[in-house]
Amino acid sequence: MIAIPKDISDKITILVGDPATLDNRPASVWEPARVSFLSELSKKLIAHADAKRRPDVMSFAYWIRRANLVKMQERTSGPDSSRIGLGLVFHICPSNVPVNFAFSLAFALLSGNSSVLRLPRREDPTYTIIVEAINELLAEHEQEAIKAAILVVRYERDDDLNAYWLSQADGRIIWGGNQTVNHMRSFDVPPRSREIAFPDRYSLCALCADAILRLEGDALEKFCAALYNDIYLMDQAACSSPQLLAWTGKKDDVTAAQNKLWPAFIKHSKSRYEIKPIQVMEKFVDACSAAISSENVSDINRDDYVLYRYELNNLDETQDDSRGYSGTIHEVALTSLDELAPIVKKNYQTLSYFGFSKDELRSFVNENRLRGIDRIVPVGRALDMDIVWDGYDMISTLSRIVEIG
Amino acid sequence: MLEQQSLASLLEWPVFSMSSAEKEQLLLTEMQRLTDLHMEACAPYNSVVTKLHFESQDLQSLTDIPYIPVQLFKHQRLASVPEQDIVKTMMSSGTSGHNPSKIFLDKNTAALQIKILAQIMGDFIGKKRLPMLIIDCKATVTDRYRFSARTAGILGFSMFGRDVEYALDDDMSLNVDRVRAFLEKHEGENILLFGFTFIIWQHLVRALEKLDECLPLANGILIHGGGWKKLLNEAVDNNEFKERVGASTEINKIHNYYGMVEQTGSIFMECEEGHLHTSAWSDIIIRDPYDFSPLPIGESGLIQLLSVIPHSYPGHSILSEDVGEILGIDDCPCGRHGTYFKIEGRLEQAEVRGCSDSYT
Repeated sequence: MIAIPKDISDKITILVGDPATLDNRPASVWEPARVSFLSELSKKLIAHADAKRRPDVMSFAYWIRRANLVKMQERTSGPDSSRIGLGLVFHICPSNVPVNFAFSLAFALLSGNSSVLRLPRREDPTYTIIVEAINELLAEHEQEAIKAAILVVRYERDDDLNAYWLSQADGRIIWGGNQTVNHMRSFDVPPRSREIAFPDRYSLCALCADAILRLEGDALEKFCAALYNDIYLMDQAACSSPQLLAWTGKKDDVTAAQNKLWPAFIKHSKSRYEIKPIQVMEKFVDACSAAISSENVSDINRDDYVLYRYELNNLDETQDDSRGYSGTIHEVALTSLDELAPIVKKNYQTLSYFGFSKDELRSFVNENRLRGIDRIVPVGRALDMDIVWDGYDMISTLSRIVEIG
Repeated sequence: MLEQQSLASLLEWPVFSMSSAEKEQLLLTEMQRLTDLHMEACAPYNSVVTKLHFESQDLQSLTDIPYIPVQLFKHQRLASVPEQDIVKTMMSSGTSGHNPSKIFLDKNTAALQIKILAQIMGDFIGKKRLPMLIIDCKATVTDRYRFSARTAGILGFSMFGRDVEYALDDDMSLNVDRVRAFLEKHEGENILLFGFTFIIWQHLVRALEKLDECLPLANGILIHGGGWKKLLNEAVDNNEFKERVGASTEINKIHNYYGMVEQTGSIFMECEEGHLHTSAWSDIIIRDPYDFSPLPIGESGLIQLLSVIPHSYPGHSILSEDVGEILGIDDCPCGRHGTYFKIEGRLEQAEVRGCSDSYT
């Protein structure tokens, strides 16, 4: 148990759990009671009336289905795992992708830890829905052990509180960009504590023109839906949302593929995307700024407001400074993937792809000795959160091995 | 270079009496000239127009004129004259961003602002300078650390008054004795009053109400602007505002104005009917907030503002974040010609975005 000082507890709003019973003793990884708890939570969320319209909540709900958890467990741990959690994990949760707080909690639970999660001050239905479902589940009987492992709180941006939790935590998960990550590192932490930090990342998408040209009918529509999910579901505010879209192929093929894909994609996107007027305005302002500030941007296509395409006549290592939101992509035509290598830096995260073999992709990373890119996934899965994320295996990072000789 | 002759003829346009057909032709020619000028003289403007595929030549109607977002003046340095010709830089932080808008004025543009503002004001308060009471404190204009849109507004409008007096002390409290002395001195004369809407509400109307006093200003004309946001938070609309001003000061000539620092001088005055009016030198277009297509009379959308004033920076056609609708053209019961409209609000501001600033 942790004795939380009164001046700390006075300043927090508790959404889930009870500071008085918060237990910082670890559990084994993949503890069956916790797996069951998450799979019950999955059912609750899938049945939740408000969750259906929120793809982020649904994606979390499906991710914590029992079948998926079992699959992940098989993939990430040996049969006679001697792993146990670290103890208490403190989470600074992000506001750009609200649902990540829930993934963060699940990572900590499955790796055998208790959690204190600090939610952003801003309300979002995603927080509300998930918090509500967790509370309902915890209210059911025989959940005391789980309840003692979860404390979800809100508080102002207050460094006394951050310092306190960081001093207590055996592990910390910091979502929130470079500045926040560096800031949180300025506090004293237990010497053996561990950190998982999610600083600013930059993600891109590579499309093989030939492969797009071969798409017809339903296949083209299916591809549009997949690309739509990557670009629009988080308004491009997620770190794994594609910013740069690189075509590979002969010049004429790329042009033909663009002429084929974009009208179909715009049509698909218009039927699904709900954009707010302020987002439309910001897209326009960003486009005007890009036209002025970037020499690499040679043309801005806005055939339709739903998609702005910045044509790049050159790539350089500052490409990751340029970001777009709400359906704004930087587009470049290349002859091969290798032309991307010189711009890839440490902060590059997800490469989503279409029309490349896994061998091609592996050799692209290995032959070019890339310092960045932690995930390479087919188009449509850029936003899929997983137990391995941003180059970390969550379970092993948040647990320790107890060797018994 | 500005052609002085064409500018002189510009100032001869009748303020509120041209027919829309006549005005559109004159304004379109002027807008084409300004677009050409800024395309030539302002490389960033040229990049926007070219890369975003705006038509800039052979413009057929006012809706064809390229427009740039007001916000752009916060992010970019946009000037169409060399550094040494800039005589004044105007700034406004607005409500939405951290960066202030920067507007660069040369001598000609600054002069045009004053001349056109004078013409518009003349139509409402007459050509003669009136004794003027400013509903603000003197420090707002004398303290250089307080320079703001309020300072600029007060200085700009002060030109239309004489014997200027400030109604508030530097701590923003109403000095009733000073105001009464001023009114006694100018008994029987028309008085011009100027101030920012919220300041008038808070520090004149509410202050008088608390004191349970009434000022004898039946011959006053009140001009006020600066936005309704704070008042709407207190659930005070234009009618309520007018009623309460009238009750505490006896003023019945009250004119709100709408304008922005990016088009200073080109203001839209509220007429006796409560409608905002474009003058000969300005117009507005309402655009669909999603695809920016022009909308007809009576439909609500984003307000695009046209003004012949900006020569030293590319602000002759700007798309604002204000939402409003055109009520009519040339047929306002007040008798003034031109487009008349109302403001309905502002785009709801966005939340944080991106993965770099998500600790909130």
